[in-house]
Amino acid sequence: MNAQQERAVERILERVEKPARYTGGEMNTEVKPWEDTEVHMAFCFPDIYEIGMSYLGMKILWSIINRLPYAVCERVFMPWTDFSDALRREDIPLFSLESRKALRQFEVVGFTLQYEMSFTNILEMLDLGGVPVYAADRAETDPLVIAGGPCACNPEPLAPFIDAFQIGDGEEMMVEFLDAVRDCRREGLSRRDTLLRLAQIEGVYVPAFYRAEYHEDGTLAAFYPIEPRVPAVVRRRILKDFSNAQYPDKFPVPYTEIVHDRIVLEIMRGCTRGCRVCQAGMIYRPVRERTMEKVLEHAENLETSTGYEEMSLSSLSSGDYTCLSPLILELMKQYRDKRVGVSMPSMRVDNIVKQSLEELSKIRKSGLTLAPEAGTQRLRDVINKGVTEEDVLRAVTDAFESGWSTVKLYFMMGLPTETDDDLRGIAQLAQKVVGAYFAVPKDKRARGLRVTCSASVFVPKPFTPFQWAAQDTIDVVRVKQSALRDYLKIKGVTFNWHDSTTSYLEACFARGDRRMAAVLYEAWKRGCKLDGWSEHFRYDTWLEAFDAVGLDPAFYANRERPYEELLPWAFIDMGVTQEFLRRENERALHGRTTKDCRQGCNACGIERYPGVCPNLSMPPRKVEVSIEC
Amino acid sequence: MKMWIVLEKRPRIRFIGHLDMLRTMQRALRRSGLPVRYSNGFNPHMLLNFAAPLSLGMPGRREVVEVALAEDVSEREFTERLTQSLPPELRCVRCRAVDDLHPAPMALLRAAGYHFELTEGEDAAGFVRFLPEYWALPEIPAIRKTKTGEKPCDLKPLIHVLQADGAYAFDAVLALCEAGTCKPDLLLTSMAERLGISKPEALVTRTQLFAERDGKLIPLEEA
Repeated sequence: MNAQQERAVERILERVEKPARYTGGEMNTEVKPWEDTEVHMAFCFPDIYEIGMSYLGMKILWSIINRLPYAVCERVFMPWTDFSDALRREDIPLFSLESRKALRQFEVVGFTLQYEMSFTNILEMLDLGGVPVYAADRAETDPLVIAGGPCACNPEPLAPFIDAFQIGDGEEMMVEFLDAVRDCRREGLSRRDTLLRLAQIEGVYVPAFYRAEYHEDGTLAAFYPIEPRVPAVVRRRILKDFSNAQYPDKFPVPYTEIVHDRIVLEIMRGCTRGCRVCQAGMIYRPVRERTMEKVLEHAENLETSTGYEEMSLSSLSSGDYTCLSPLILELMKQYRDKRVGVSMPSMRVDNIVKQSLEELSKIRKSGLTLAPEAGTQRLRDVINKGVTEEDVLRAVTDAFESGWSTVKLYFMMGLPTETDDDLRGIAQLAQKVVGAYFAVPKDKRARGLRVTCSASVFVPKPFTPFQWAAQDTIDVVRVKQSALRDYLKIKGVTFNWHDSTTSYLEACFARGDRRMAAVLYEAWKRGCKLDGWSEHFRYDTWLEAFDAVGLDPAFYANRERPYEELLPWAFIDMGVTQEFLRRENERALHGRTTKDCRQGCNACGIERYPGVCPNLSMPPRKVEVSIEC
Repeated sequence: MKMWIVLEKRPRIRFIGHLDMLRTMQRALRRSGLPVRYSNGFNPHMLLNFAAPLSLGMPGRREVVEVALAEDVSEREFTERLTQSLPPELRCVRCRAVDDLHPAPMALLRAAGYHFELTEGEDAAGFVRFLPEYWALPEIPAIRKTKTGEKPCDLKPLIHVLQADGAYAFDAVLALCEAGTCKPDLLLTSMAERLGISKPEALVTRTQLFAERDGKLIPLEEA
C-alpha cells in the first residue's frame, strides 16, 4: 500500500463503525517480514472480524503456517458495508490486517467455509481484493484461491470460484499443500501444472479437472475427471494422531471484544453419538480424544501467552470426553489462584465435580442449555437423539435445585416424519420443564424462571442419513411456526424461531450442484452480501437470481431425492459410506435407533481404513446420555 | 506500593476505546505475572487506573497509568516484565514507583499537550499562520458541548501554549481537569469559526500530560 493509500485508509477509519476491526496489531499477531518468505497466504474468514476471530480453526492453521520457515499467513475478514463502500470509492483493495497487503499480492488466498450464508462474502472479498472471482479468469500471476472447512464437503456450488479445495482435517494437509506450492514456484510450474501437483495430495480437490453432466430433469447424470492424473474419488483427509497434532501455544488477543473472547481447549474431535441430523457428527468421524496431559499443556501455554481470564473446552460433545471430571478438577485447581474461570459443560459430571461446580456457580451463573431437538420420543428416535423426557427433566431439576433459573431448549422443526403431535410435544416438554421448576421448594430455587424454546428449521445436509430428504416448503414452515407459537403460550416460556427464507437458501447451497454457482454469482452481482445478517439478507433478490439463471430453488430444497440419484457430493469419500447413510435413513424412517459406536461398531465406513478409528480397538463400553450437543 | 506506567499508545491502535484499553492492560499485567493488587470485593478487580481516557482516534505518547502492587517490585524489573507482555502497539516508556499514599495521577492532572497535524494544503497553512493572532485575543468566547447541554465559556485561560510546528502542524497545551477543560476539537472549531472556514482535518496526538507545581506546569509523570 502506498503512502497516499495509507492516508486514505486512515481517513476512512475515522468515519466507519468499529474501526478497530480493520487495524490489527493485536497481541501475538506479529509475523515474519513479507520479503523474507516465499509463500504468502491470506487466511480469509468470510464474515466480520468479531466472528472470524472467535473461530478456533483459523487460530490453529494461522499458527501452523506461520511456523513454516518459508511461509507467512496473514488474516483478512469481511468488511462491513461502510468500510467496503469506502474501499471501492477510494479504489483501495481489501488488505490483510498484518501487513496491509492487498489480497491479489498473496500467492495463496484461503477461505474457510463455515456456513452457506457466507458464500456471497467470498465473491465480495475476492473482488474487493483485486482477484478475479472466477477461477477460469485468473492469470498466471493471480493467487491460488483455496477453501476448506465443513461446507467443503459439498464443494460444488463454489466449484467455478475456487482453484482447490482442502477436504478434511487441515493440520497436515495444509503443510503438504504449501510445501507443494513452494516447490512448484521454485520449479517455475504453470498454474495448471501446479494445480495438477496439488490434486495428488490426499484431501485436495481441484474442480477444474472434473466435469458434471446433467439429465434433462436437472439431476446429475455423470461426474468424472477430465484429466487422467487426478483421482476419481477424492478422499477426505483424516488426522490420525490428534493428540500430538500441532496446537497453537499463542492465540491472538484482540483489543476489542469478540464473540468467544477466551482460551479454547480442543479436547476431542468427532462424535460417537450418531445423531442423524448432525453433519458434524458424521463428517468428523472417528472420534479422537486428546490426552489430558496434552490439554493441560495447551492450557498452560495459552494462559501464559494470552492473559485471558476464562477458558473453555471445545468438542462436539465434551460430556463424552473420557477424563472430563479429572480434567475439570485439575484445571480448576491450577487456575483458581490465577483468577482464570473455567467454563464447562454443565451436564454429566460426577458428584465431586458437582460440588466444585456449585462453588463456582456462586460467582457466575450462566444459563443451562439443552438440545432435545424434537418434542416426542418417536421423533427423537427417528433422528437418533438418544435422550428421553426423563433425562431432560432430571437435568433441569438438578439445575433448578442448584440455583439455576434460566434454561434454553433447542428444537428443530420440519424434521423427516414430523407431525402436529411432535410440535405439540415441544410445548408439552416446555410445560413439564416449568413444572419441574415449581416442584422445587420455593426456598430452594432461584427466582425468576426463564425457559427459552428455540426452534430452527431443519436443513438436510450432505453426508447425513437425511441427505435425500425434502425440506419443508416455506409455506409449511410458516404454518408450523405459527402453530408452535400458539402451543407455546405458556407463562415463563419464550419462543424464538428462525427466518424460514434463510434456511431455504441454506438448503439450496448445502445440497447444490455446480449450477448453483451461477445463482450465487448473480445474487452477488445484484448486491447480495452479508446474507447471514438479517439487516442485509434480501430474499427477493435471491429469487430474482434463481429466475435469471433459470433454476428452481425447490428443486434443491424441497425435493425428496431417490437413492438412485447421483448426488453432487458422491465423488467424495468422507469416511462414512453412502451405504451406511442409506441404512441409517431406513432405520430412521422405521423409528429405529442406532447405538453409540462406543458400544460396538456400526460399520459406518471408517472401519475400512485400518488404524483410523480408535474405538475399533477398544471393547464395547457403557454410554451415558448426552443432551448438550 | 503503586507503580506509575508511562505508556505510548501508537497510532495504529488509536481507535481502541478506553474500556478496551483497560482490558488490554489488565491482560498484559496478567501475562507479566507481576504481583498486581486486586480489590477486596465480591468481584475482585485489578486496581488499575488511567490518568485520563484518550478520545477515540487519538494516539498518546506519554499516557500515565497507575497500578497498585501487592508486593514491592523494582522499577527496572517492572519495566522489563511489562515490556515483554505488552502488545506490539503499546510501549512502556518508563515506570516510576510511588508510595501508596501518593495521590492518583487523575487527581494531579491539570493539562495535556497535543500535536496537531493538518492535512497539507493552503487552508492548513492559513490556519497555522493564524495561531499568534488567535492566541493574542484577550478573550475567546466559545460554546462547550457537555452532557447537560451547551455552555458558553472563555477558552483563553484554558490555553497554556499554542505554537506552530512547521507550515502544517502545531502544538498546544490545553487545560484538562475538573476546573476546566478545552478539548482539542473545540480549539479547532473555535479557530475555524474565527477564520470563517470549516474545521480542518487533523490527526491529533496527545504528547504529554501535565500537573502543576508552584503555579507552573510540570510533566505529570514527575509529580
